[in-house]
Amino acid sequence: MITVTDLTKRFGQTLAVDRLSFQVESGEVVGFLGPNGAGKSTTIRVLAGYHPATRGSASVAGFDVAKQSLQVRQSIGYLPENVPIYPELRVVEYLRYRAALKGVPARDRKVAVMRAMAKAGIEDVRRKLVGHVSRGYRQRVGLADALVSNPKVLILDEPTSGLDPNQRRRIKEVVRELAEEHTILFSSHILAEVQDVASRILVIHRGTLRADGAPDELVRSSVGRRLVVAAACDEAAMRQLLAGLPIEGVELVEGTNGLTRASAGLTEGADPRAEIGERAVAAGIALQELKLDAPSLEEYFQLMTEGADRAAENEALVGDSETAGAA
Amino acid sequence: MNGALVTFRKELLSYFVSPVSWVIAFVFYAWRGYELSSLSRYFAATNGDPDVFVSATYSRPSTFWMVILVPAILTMRCFAEERRTGSMEMLMTAPVKDSGVVVGKWGAAAAFYALLWLPTALSLHVLEYGPFLGTDLSFGPVFAAYLGMFLLSAMVLSFGCFASSLTDNVLLAALLSILFAFGLITLPQQLPAQLGELGQNYYVRELLDKFDVMRNFSEWFARGLIDTSQVAFYISGIAFFLFLTVVSVASRRVA
Repeated sequence: MITVTDLTKRFGQTLAVDRLSFQVESGEVVGFLGPNGAGKSTTIRVLAGYHPATRGSASVAGFDVAKQSLQVRQSIGYLPENVPIYPELRVVEYLRYRAALKGVPARDRKVAVMRAMAKAGIEDVRRKLVGHVSRGYRQRVGLADALVSNPKVLILDEPTSGLDPNQRRRIKEVVRELAEEHTILFSSHILAEVQDVASRILVIHRGTLRADGAPDELVRSSVGRRLVVAAACDEAAMRQLLAGLPIEGVELVEGTNGLTRASAGLTEGADPRAEIGERAVAAGIALQELKLDAPSLEEYFQLMTEGADRAAENEALVGDSETAGAA
Repeated sequence: MNGALVTFRKELLSYFVSPVSWVIAFVFYAWRGYELSSLSRYFAATNGDPDVFVSATYSRPSTFWMVILVPAILTMRCFAEERRTGSMEMLMTAPVKDSGVVVGKWGAAAAFYALLWLPTALSLHVLEYGPFLGTDLSFGPVFAAYLGMFLLSAMVLSFGCFASSLTDNVLLAALLSILFAFGLITLPQQLPAQLGELGQNYYVRELLDKFDVMRNFSEWFARGLIDTSQVAFYISGIAFFLFLTVVSVASRRVA
């Protein structure tokens, strides 16, 4: 439903999006996650037809965003990060205007507006001036606007930004309900927002894609997983127990109650728990604890963004010192 | 077409709910009413020619206010305000052509502007009675003069839309529009003297004559004559500035 291929967007000298590629299949709810300034809004604006790409291509519902912009805009419902709405119009008037602008036939317009208001939960403010409703309601009016033409694809840019916890919960509920009928791409810099509603997450940082997968899958495949073992034995026996396993950086702590705890990093995809169990039985060691300690999605996100920055900085430092050494 | 019509309706509604529009209307009607009643009393007292009265009504200060200042006020928000508040993004990501949005906005400004003038035509009819003129006016020249005034103002409105598309500062947009209207009215008459020998050149004079909207207005429209070349000049001017506006709006997508 959404295909982005080698998308690059520059604003003068600033590289906002760098050769970004991803796909969103029909019916998926995909969270577009990244810290502020990662390139989320720029990518979304290219998909919505507001900015042209500098290089690369993107298509929505089978239409090329550059060559068939009008058809793309007919296929999407777009909620920008800050919902700017004409304050002098009543909520229902604004939605009728937007429905007409989006080509909803006059005979269907009333029903379309009512349906969009019901989905966004704003029927109680329908007669209020847009300038007089709270920020949370304004965000939902924007959501109703995105829904009013019943588009196949919804693109929501930070839909919960600036809302209080209750308003955020309400928006997430609405997105979950919409997931039954629409393909949804929604961005956020708050991981919990995405984790709650998305079946898949794209992590973007400094304009490039850092991770793509289901939230659990991303954590499971994370290099940050650690093995934790606690057994009734001394340190030497524990070392024997763990010898030759696909682990690294073993840390041992001998407790006063005859227990020794070990913690070690795992190589990617490894799970030596069964083997440790067998070895413990063979050696007659009583295991008290044996688990894989996966990082939370929050930690994973930190690893993908801040960790990547640190690695890049270290590489740059090494490069500098090598250059200085050669000189 | 749909986009232009929807934009037109929404913009026209916005003019009617805007306090600024009502202030403009109040000031204009009060001022115009005072001018017309004073002028009609003077003509009645001096037994003036009613046809001269009609053309005299167009050289009142309120006319210049309506041609120079009001189009700037009506169009300054067209795109500048949309850009300032961010609603431009909503407009540009809706499935509507840029040209439809531009034509719809200009059309609404022109329609509201025409509606502002309409009651003044009725007031001319009222002046035919009682203590004012006490004689019939010829409404042929009145219609022609209103058409001329509308075409000139519609061109200023189209420039106003263009100016508004260039910036997100509504005051700057208004200032550009005022300068344009002021220049259009005064420069063709002032320039020949300023240009010296070049100002006396046949081709330069011919060119400036074509752009001398005030002289053309008083020689043609105010006398009840509708010259198709004059009409074509204004329509071309309107189309030119609307085209520039579409290009300006479209180029913002590229930014």
